[in-house]
Formats: sequence, C-alpha cells, structure tokens
Amino acid sequence: MVTVDDLLNMNPDDILKHNERPDDKTLRNKQQIYYDDVQVGEELPKYIYRQTPTHLFRWSASIENFHRIHYDLDFALNHDKNPTILVHGSWKQSVVPQFLKDWVSPGGWPWKARFEHRAMLTPNDVLIMWGTVVDKSEKDGMGIIELEIGMKTQDGVESMPGTATVVLPIRGGKEIPYPFVPPQE
Amino acid sequence: MSSNPAETKMTPEVQAMIGVEGDIVEMMGVVDQEYLRRFAQALMDPDPMYWDEEWAKNSRFGQLTVPPIMVSYMSSRIPLGGGDPVTQAFEENPFSDGIGSVKKFGELPNVPTDLVRVVNGGNELELYEYPSIGDRIKFQHRYSDIRERVGREGKAFLLITRETKFYNQDDHLLCITRATTIRR
Repeated sequence: MVTVDDLLNMNPDDILKHNERPDDKTLRNKQQIYYDDVQVGEELPKYIYRQTPTHLFRWSASIENFHRIHYDLDFALNHDKNPTILVHGSWKQSVVPQFLKDWVSPGGWPWKARFEHRAMLTPNDVLIMWGTVVDKSEKDGMGIIELEIGMKTQDGVESMPGTATVVLPIRGGKEIPYPFVPPQE
Repeated sequence: MSSNPAETKMTPEVQAMIGVEGDIVEMMGVVDQEYLRRFAQALMDPDPMYWDEEWAKNSRFGQLTVPPIMVSYMSSRIPLGGGDPVTQAFEENPFSDGIGSVKKFGELPNVPTDLVRVVNGGNELELYEYPSIGDRIKFQHRYSDIRERVGREGKAFLLITRETKFYNQDDHLLCITRATTIRR
C-alpha cells in the first residue's frame, strides 16, 4: 500500500492510479479487520477523487442544495470572490462515513468523526481521503480505534483535518452491537 | 490599517440564539430507493448494501441500508404544495446565494446578523443505526453553539453550530450531525 507521502511525490495523474476506493465486488468480499490486527501508525486505504463541474452538479442535484457557489461561476467569481466554483463540504462530509464504514465492515461500526473545512477545493483538484491509526484501546469488550483523517490535495494542502473513532470486534470477542450502543466509560 | 478593535458580531440577539431548538418534525416522504440511487451515485459509493436485496438480507443488518447521513440531506426536500421557496428567495433578494434565504422545512429562525457570506466550517457526526428503506424520519435542529472569531484582516466573524438529531418512526436515534457554518 502506498503512503500519503508517496502519493504526494507523484504527479496528479499518477496519484489517480493508486486509488484504493473499493468497488462493489471488493465490498462483498471484504474480510473483517480485527482490533488485534491493527497497528498504531497504520494507514487506511486511500480514496482518490478528481471531481469535474459535472460531478459537482450531480451532487447539488442529488441533495437539492441550491448554493450557487457550487454551480454558478459568475456568482462564485464576482459575488463570493472565489477562484471558481467549489467542491461541496457536504460531499466531503459524506465521504467520511463511507470511508470509515468500508474499513470496519462487515462487523465493525463507524461511530463518530469531526473535521474542519479549511481549504477551498475546486474541480480538477486530485483529492486524497486518508486516515491513520493514532491510538487503540479496549472498552466494554469492543476495540476502539482512534484515527486522524483528512482530505489532501495533490499539492499536499490539508482541506479537512479531523479525527474519527471507529469500533472493531476483538478476535474471539463479542459482536459489535447493532444498533450501535457506545461502550460504557 | 485601522487599529480599532473589531466590531463585535456577538450581539445580545445573536447570543440569545444559542440553545434555540426547533420542533421535532417529520420530513416529507420516506427513505426511498430513488433518492438512495441518486445519492449513492453522486457520492460514488457502490456498496451492495444499498441495492442488492438478497445480499443485504444475509448481512448482519438483514435488509438494505442507506448511507448513514443521507437522511440529513433529505430534510431539505421541499414538499409539493409548499410554495416555491427558490423563486420567493430571489424575489426577496435578487442576489440570494441560493441557500441562505431559501426557507426550508423545519428550519430554525435565522441568526440575526448582517454577515452575509456562508462557508461550511466543519462537521461532527455520530452514528448509531443505519436508516432503512421505508423509514419515516423525524428530526430536530438546535443551535448548539455560536462563537465569535476575528480574522486576519481584523474583522469579526461568527461560527454557528447547528446540531440535528435524526430519529426513525420507532424513535430510534439514527445519527447526530453538527454543522458549523462560518458567517463573514
């Protein structure tokens, strides 16, 4: 698996070749990752995107978001003084639970995340959704994994610094409850 | 460059909005496969849990699921018979940004500020249960926090956090979102 640092040493077209976003077949065959097997410092698979204006329009339409900064170039340039139309924070926000869900499936749980939106992302930026394990602990028979997450551009600009907590089963331990019940402190 | 301190935007009227919550309202319609199809395609998430009923039946969830926070966007759906809020917004303000003055179902009253630019400042998510096809979703908004900051140019701006809790028809808490918008 290539690291984020490896990717940032590549040109944008080469970064795209290392997309690890799973297709439906990969998700069907996903093997459970257990708490025991996770190492602090481990990187999650990188999800790599290059959005076009059409992708942005599709997202706006799908969620009925009428904010003009995402599709009205004249408004984006002349009213909000942005460099062009912008990638949606709501799309980035939705990638986060997808990214976490895929990693913990089928038996874990993507419990919580928090992140900021710090940089404007624009069409044709190459975007790298990344995560790194920073801590792990056992609580109430569940494996709690703390992550740093973010979405970097091809230039290494961090647009969405954040953290996340996911829950993995412990090998030989109990199933993670569903609906999810947080561990007792 | 002025040496005067920034004019505060945290007025008593703004401060009074902290903790203001809306009613618990049921969003229009149900969680449906057509909304799911468009959402998952736009998200670029091909998870068979969203569309392969046979496969989903044999999963730990026992049925199709939907992306966990998809329902947070469904609350923006405008019911037929609810007027035309987009046209109304532009009649009231020809320079509407398309979102700030568009009235939404179940929305909180606006924070009374003259700051007009809206930028997404950050989000928090807590997930407890995946919504299911056919669920009727209820939600409740609350201004959980409003803070003032001063930018590099010396002007004050606001960070407004709106918490929303989403429930299904059985009053199961599905997820909590907290969205912070920057108002400049």
